[in-house]
Amino acid sequence: MIERLKAALAAENIDIYSISETDKESREAFFVKKELDLARSTSLRDYTVTVYRETQTEAGRRLGSSTLPVYESMTEEELREALRAGAFAASLAGNQYYELAAGRREEFKPAQYRPGEGGLEGDLDAMVKALFAPDRGGEAFVNSAEFFVTLSHRRVVNSRGVDVSWEVYDISGEYVIQCLEPRDVETHHTFSYSRPDTKALIEDVEESLRVTRDRAQAQRAPKAGKYTLILSGPQVRELLSFYLGRSGAAMVYQGFSDFAPGDDIQGGDVSGERLTLELAATEPYDGEGIPLRDRTLIEDGVLKTLHGGARFSYYMGVEPTGSYKCLRVPAGRKSLEEMKSAPHLHVVAFSDFQMDTFSGHFGGEIRLGYLFDGERTVPVTGGSVNGSILEAQKGMEFSKELYRSAEYEGPLAVSLPDVAVAGE
Amino acid sequence: MKVKDSEYLKRVRPLLGRLLEELTDRFPYASILAQDGTERSYSVSRRLRSINGGGRFSDRGFVVKVFNEGRWSEHSFNELTEEDLPRVVEAVVRGAAVRGPEGTGYREYEIPEAEPLKFKASTDFEIDPAELGDESILARLQAIRDRGFKAAEGLIDCRVNATWNRTSKLFLAPGRELEQNVMWMTGSVMAAAPRGQEIMASFVSYSNLGGAEVLGGMDGDVERVAKVALELTASEPLTPGEYECVCTPDVTGMIVHEAFGHGVEMDMFVKNRALAQKYVGEYVASPLVTMHDGAAKVPETGSYFFDDEGTLAHDTVIIEKGVLKRGISDYQSAKSLGTEPTGNGRRESFRRKAYTRMTNTWFEAGTDTLEDMIASVKDGLLLEEPSSGMEDPKNWGIQCMVNYAREIKDGKFTGRIFSPVVLTGYVPDLLKSITMMSDSAMLHGSGMCGKGYKEWVKVSDGGPYIKARIRLG
Repeated sequence: MIERLKAALAAENIDIYSISETDKESREAFFVKKELDLARSTSLRDYTVTVYRETQTEAGRRLGSSTLPVYESMTEEELREALRAGAFAASLAGNQYYELAAGRREEFKPAQYRPGEGGLEGDLDAMVKALFAPDRGGEAFVNSAEFFVTLSHRRVVNSRGVDVSWEVYDISGEYVIQCLEPRDVETHHTFSYSRPDTKALIEDVEESLRVTRDRAQAQRAPKAGKYTLILSGPQVRELLSFYLGRSGAAMVYQGFSDFAPGDDIQGGDVSGERLTLELAATEPYDGEGIPLRDRTLIEDGVLKTLHGGARFSYYMGVEPTGSYKCLRVPAGRKSLEEMKSAPHLHVVAFSDFQMDTFSGHFGGEIRLGYLFDGERTVPVTGGSVNGSILEAQKGMEFSKELYRSAEYEGPLAVSLPDVAVAGE
Repeated sequence: MKVKDSEYLKRVRPLLGRLLEELTDRFPYASILAQDGTERSYSVSRRLRSINGGGRFSDRGFVVKVFNEGRWSEHSFNELTEEDLPRVVEAVVRGAAVRGPEGTGYREYEIPEAEPLKFKASTDFEIDPAELGDESILARLQAIRDRGFKAAEGLIDCRVNATWNRTSKLFLAPGRELEQNVMWMTGSVMAAAPRGQEIMASFVSYSNLGGAEVLGGMDGDVERVAKVALELTASEPLTPGEYECVCTPDVTGMIVHEAFGHGVEMDMFVKNRALAQKYVGEYVASPLVTMHDGAAKVPETGSYFFDDEGTLAHDTVIIEKGVLKRGISDYQSAKSLGTEPTGNGRRESFRRKAYTRMTNTWFEAGTDTLEDMIASVKDGLLLEEPSSGMEDPKNWGIQCMVNYAREIKDGKFTGRIFSPVVLTGYVPDLLKSITMMSDSAMLHGSGMCGKGYKEWVKVSDGGPYIKARIRLG
């Protein structure tokens, strides 16, 4: 299909282009309690083409692009017509000129893990067994679960010589833990691994069962006021997404961020810890075919680089880093126990914790928190957190204990001073 | 004018017929959903413009669902030629044999029954966006953007977007052949202004079940949105507490959808995950409240003629005068619960499983005027611009965010504005506290709805202005 596309692009006189091919096989299973409700499989091959048109206007040299899906089932006439429409759209959507990523044909890079004899089905079964293993029939149990195991083969080809192909293995899913007594409650959890890590999943489910049992004990919301807030697990990644967003070349180019390499992004007078943050390469290339490698984004609170794809990096005059999903942060100075020795509110489960990169506000409704008033700890539920990273970042402290997911490797917990909480 | 058929689905129809025959020879029941969509998105901002084809709701492919020995299984694929047929059948057969690992069981279902039915239907539009063309659409959006910048000095950006989607679906099962062609178009205007390191933004959205006529409605608000963005730079944080609030129709829609709608999705009943199932027949809201969900009754982005399981679209009355009457359901959940499916079995696309999903969800209008509602507020707030929400079917906790609130004292706006605002509390407390509803309802369909953090589908929601007591953070 890629050769067919190249021929059609040439016939339409489109000499700047990028083609992306994804070939994906998956197995999926949907359980209600320990009963299989639906088994699914997918076998999909997708193609996306971006066509570019260079124009010269009063404003100078411009480059426009338009991305479109194409299908093997298209007739030759349909394919040519789609590319022609894309080229016309690209000529209308001229932006400041930039250059696509350049490269060459590289060797195929297989996934670090590939399924064994049992295939995707075998891996799926192993993870199903692992997820249900800690569910031993107590008051807290697995209410329902979904599993997705996927092996994708990706290839990116462009008109500046890039021709890279690689494989991605992913096993992910979500599950709900329910606890009936003394109060019927549930908590929702997700997982994602680059190999069938049954040990990690078992530990994750055991912790989720404990958290849900505690949520069933929680009766009241915390009192409204300001707290030293401790966040842990996936919320730490979401909180730090502020820095990933604000240091994106696209955000800076559009004026939504004033971050610049060399800036002290925590604003000086830091009473907590200075942030160090790495972009971690979990795949060999990004969607433009740019090679990914581990890079330091922020070191001791100082921004080292902007990050982004070919276009916005060109606009900002920086090296294109490609697009990253995973953040890596070094261990903090205090143990979680030390962090928890002073009065605090440790929220371990939200209905949906969100960071708004535009405003710097973060928050969410509290599903389960542990409130320590200096003498005793009580579980709380209800109310909501409404904080600002711009205010809290000077006092941020990270735990020594680490946590790892598909999108984050770093401290398990972060503490933030004087965060507003709405409650009773 | 009516939306046209997909040429691709016409072309592939004979092969799909053969595939269905092969599958029904092997299994007691089989169905095929074929999808062919086209989408085009436009965006102009201060420094960027784009026109792209494709999108989340534009896709081409197939999903086969078979029933075998009391169990359901599915296979999704997007290539189908004469040569592919044996490979597809083999994948379906392999999937139907999946049993799950040792220590697990399976849910057993009755063999499905469906009335024989054959029909084809298309939605209407006035202006075909494909015919109107990229150049005209982009020029319209640029003109709106320019007016935004002119209306308010100091904006970082004024971004104007539009998207149209045309999707054809064909559902085939023994005795059943359903075809539909649906088109919707959406638009939005966003203005952003700086406050130190914060970016304060205001936005408005537009939607229809139709075509480029939606662009006509986008001319009226850009100046207001630009001025609100500047106003927000002087906004204050809100002191948490319970307030007398008037909600705009789009905030009402978010409450309808997030706070209550997700809780009556009956696949949650199957898993014992929804508090609502214990409250059917009881008061859960003020007697002023009547709530609907359905793809059949109102023309919006959640409308269709049949769902992704071949069930015809409904208009379901969920709450009638404050009493919870029933939930909404997909086919498989309805069969589990011994109820009838309500035409709410929806997939993100042929690539994904069908779940119970909302369509167009709204509160009926009341009898009050907005002026009377504002005048009745002694000390409270007008909540505007919903930004996000998350469901909690199990415990009816509310998590919704709105962009800002305007202070009202003794029935008059004071000029003070608070941002951002988090709605929290217990759903029935909020719904039972509704004391006034305005005399017209509006639906908005520019957003999309997820199930948890995935499975996005196009929906609309709305209602009238409502007055209620709400806990805010």
